[in-house]
Amino acid sequence: MLGLPEQFTPDFIARLEQLRIKTRREYAGLGKGSHLSPRRGSSLEFTDFRPYALGDDFRYIDWGLYGRTDKLYIKLFKEEEDLLTYIFIDASGSMGFPAIDSKLEAARAFALAVAYVALAAGDRVMVRVLGGKNGMPGSAFVYGRHRIGELAHQLSSLTPSGEVDLAPALARELVSIRRAGKVFLISDFLAMISSVERALGLFTAANMDVSAVQILGATELEGHGLQGDVEVVDSESGERLRVVLGPRERERYRQTLSRLSDEIRNFCLRAGLRYVLYKTNQDFHAFFLNAATELGLVH
Amino acid sequence: MIDAWFTGFGLLYPSALYLFVIPPLLVIAYLVRERPRQIVVSSVIAFRALQVVRGKRFGGRPHLNITFLVELLILCLAVLALAAPYRLRNRNLTTLIIDNSAAMQARISSGQSRFAAARQQVAEAIGSNANEIEVYVTSPEPHRIGTFTSTGEVMAALGHVSATDAPDDPVAIAGLFSELLGKRQFQKILFVSYRPVTVPSSAGVQSIVVGAPISNYAIGSFVVTRETLGAGEVHGRVTVANFSRSPRQLDVIITADGKLAGRAGGQVAPGRTAVLDFPNLIGAKVYKAQLEPTDSFALDNVAYATGPAISSVSILFVSPTPADGATLRSIPGVAVTTISPADYVPTQLPLADLAIFEYAVPKQFPDLSSLLILPPAGDPIFHFLLRPASDLQITAWPQTDPLTAGVNFRLLNLRQGAYFGLHSWMRPVVGGSQGALILTGERQGHRFVATGFNPLPYLGRKNLPMSILTLNLLSYLAALGEQATSFRTGERWIIPAGVKEVVLPTGGREAVQPSQPFSSTYTQGIYTLIGSGSASVLRAVNLASLPTSDLEDVAPLRIEPALEVSRSREIVTISLTPHLLGAIMTLLALEALLVYRRSERY
Repeated sequence: MLGLPEQFTPDFIARLEQLRIKTRREYAGLGKGSHLSPRRGSSLEFTDFRPYALGDDFRYIDWGLYGRTDKLYIKLFKEEEDLLTYIFIDASGSMGFPAIDSKLEAARAFALAVAYVALAAGDRVMVRVLGGKNGMPGSAFVYGRHRIGELAHQLSSLTPSGEVDLAPALARELVSIRRAGKVFLISDFLAMISSVERALGLFTAANMDVSAVQILGATELEGHGLQGDVEVVDSESGERLRVVLGPRERERYRQTLSRLSDEIRNFCLRAGLRYVLYKTNQDFHAFFLNAATELGLVH
Repeated sequence: MIDAWFTGFGLLYPSALYLFVIPPLLVIAYLVRERPRQIVVSSVIAFRALQVVRGKRFGGRPHLNITFLVELLILCLAVLALAAPYRLRNRNLTTLIIDNSAAMQARISSGQSRFAAARQQVAEAIGSNANEIEVYVTSPEPHRIGTFTSTGEVMAALGHVSATDAPDDPVAIAGLFSELLGKRQFQKILFVSYRPVTVPSSAGVQSIVVGAPISNYAIGSFVVTRETLGAGEVHGRVTVANFSRSPRQLDVIITADGKLAGRAGGQVAPGRTAVLDFPNLIGAKVYKAQLEPTDSFALDNVAYATGPAISSVSILFVSPTPADGATLRSIPGVAVTTISPADYVPTQLPLADLAIFEYAVPKQFPDLSSLLILPPAGDPIFHFLLRPASDLQITAWPQTDPLTAGVNFRLLNLRQGAYFGLHSWMRPVVGGSQGALILTGERQGHRFVATGFNPLPYLGRKNLPMSILTLNLLSYLAALGEQATSFRTGERWIIPAGVKEVVLPTGGREAVQPSQPFSSTYTQGIYTLIGSGSASVLRAVNLASLPTSDLEDVAPLRIEPALEVSRSREIVTISLTPHLLGAIMTLLALEALLVYRRSERY
């Protein structure tokens, strides 16, 4: 349906319809929407008073305050606007290994699910791809739920490729983004923790509300098939390490991956970012709906 | 040839050990050129914490690679296998010769046969020291049935062996002893028989005699003959023997095709034989003689005979002068079919008992006993060499030959005819001044007689010698007067022409080829020789061996002193190469398993 991945069953889409994105800050949008904006507007959310000026609408004069102070004040309200939602998909070479885990498939499903939630709520969505080849969506926002099919089609031919250093790549993206909003960063985050922290710090510095989604493969986490004398080759950098893997080494490998995820999680907690870890052997529907709150989605 | 490696071991090709220089070279090559399996991973960041192998460079610390070690071990084993290692072992060979001849069928006091008792004694006699037991049986001729490594295996093998109806052959058994003693490879020879063996004590032969001497009454021979042409009755003759210490009344009952045909008997002195005649037995296919009283050796209390093949003679007379055959019809029991040579076809032969070709020869070799009277010169079948003569002179004839019996050749006045030259397979019987006048021979199971004169015109009272000669010729060709029980158990036959299958007395069938020896004659009884179509011939086979039947006085088997040898314990080499090859195959399978498990995709 609409070229969406197979995970998008009618039931799942119905559940997505009930969700909307909640940010920890108020962001200005590009049009009317359902999110409070820092702009003054016509919503029911009171924000401030200011002295009456000639030409102001009489309906917003606070007559009670006039009775107490004998001066005319105008009540100010917040504006409700749409939310600018940025979805960054890491399509670097590492998302293609191990192939059996289909990490990029999971990232694509996550991106489309988030995009559908935003579009269904009347928000604007921009999907950006880091690395990869084929299937690069346009740089403009899309609006309206009917555009989800277009996004799905653009992402369908995306294949993992290339080496992506998160911090520089995201810095370049930020230059092209003029407005702050909600950011979903979907990646395996298999990089040095310092690089990940710098990348995520860029968004916080730009006053973005960030949700980091880490996707790791089940085979990758367990280290299946890694045994004996092997030379491991980095899928992105081509770096080679020769190791002898036995049960003890595999356990250390698992601990290292687990520690890497924990460090990213801790950093996000400290920096006020949202973080979820999805393992490809988990049920996508159940995980997405259960982790909605952690992702910054509310009913 | 043998370089002792260490006690009990050696190498057949020790120079192959030089190949052990290969494994160190392999190790060096491994250290220099070793390339581990490559696996592309999403990121090597998680692997940096692991201890990275420093063996990528030559001189680095080698790490444990089970596959490499397995291959190294396989190579070492292969080099060792090329050196052909062997183990030396003292051969403790016991040779068991167990008698399974007819005499072992005799029952002992316990009721079991001698052969069954022999089998029971074998297990105790072999002992536990033998690690190799070679087993021979003596009947139908001494032969080995196998080599075994335990008494249990021997007993299992002997469980499939039974005593035959054939007599033992002391000469053949002595020959087997000579062969075994000459090899000097045995620890001892165990001879289990009813017959004791006398051998030098140093020869290492242990004799176990099964069964005590017993009294026995036996049928020595049983012959049924038809003595004259056309006679409906036959003459039976049975030889009986008394192998006991007292005179005994021995009776013989003859049955013809299952019906009682005659009974005769007589008192027989100890150790003597007697002949019982049955002059007027009815014609039948199979005759059975049963001796009374029976005894513990039942085999020789029965004998079989087959009826003479023909009672009347049907002659196919092929001649350009058919009138010559008229005189044959005057002989009682003779039927003559006369045809000219131009009308003769080979398919007519099966309808007759014998053929007479006068002044002619068949177009192809006849499948029937034939008389050839004055055959033409230069025939392509028999290739007779003829020398015509106007006045034939007979100069030589045998007195005992069935063809010349009762013929006074001096009274014969032969006129014109021909002398035979040398023939490739027919022998002269009657000779003349310039060559043979009568030739005879057997081919493809049939008899052939050629005469250089024509006896037929003289048949009758006017020329008695010629008439006797003619009757002799016909009787010889029709096989009249033959002993129908001339076949003994254990003796080989030559399969007659046209016979394709033999039905044994046990009911078993054996496909055979004509002119080939037939040796499955170790059962007493009636054998049926089946030819093409429904034609069949019965053949009686009997023990007919009075020395075998003499269980009272068994002659010992003598091994000549010249055969005395000093035994030497043989050392045998046991090759270890098969074990090494087995280990190599196992290691290859292990390596394949390791490679398969590693090939699981990451």
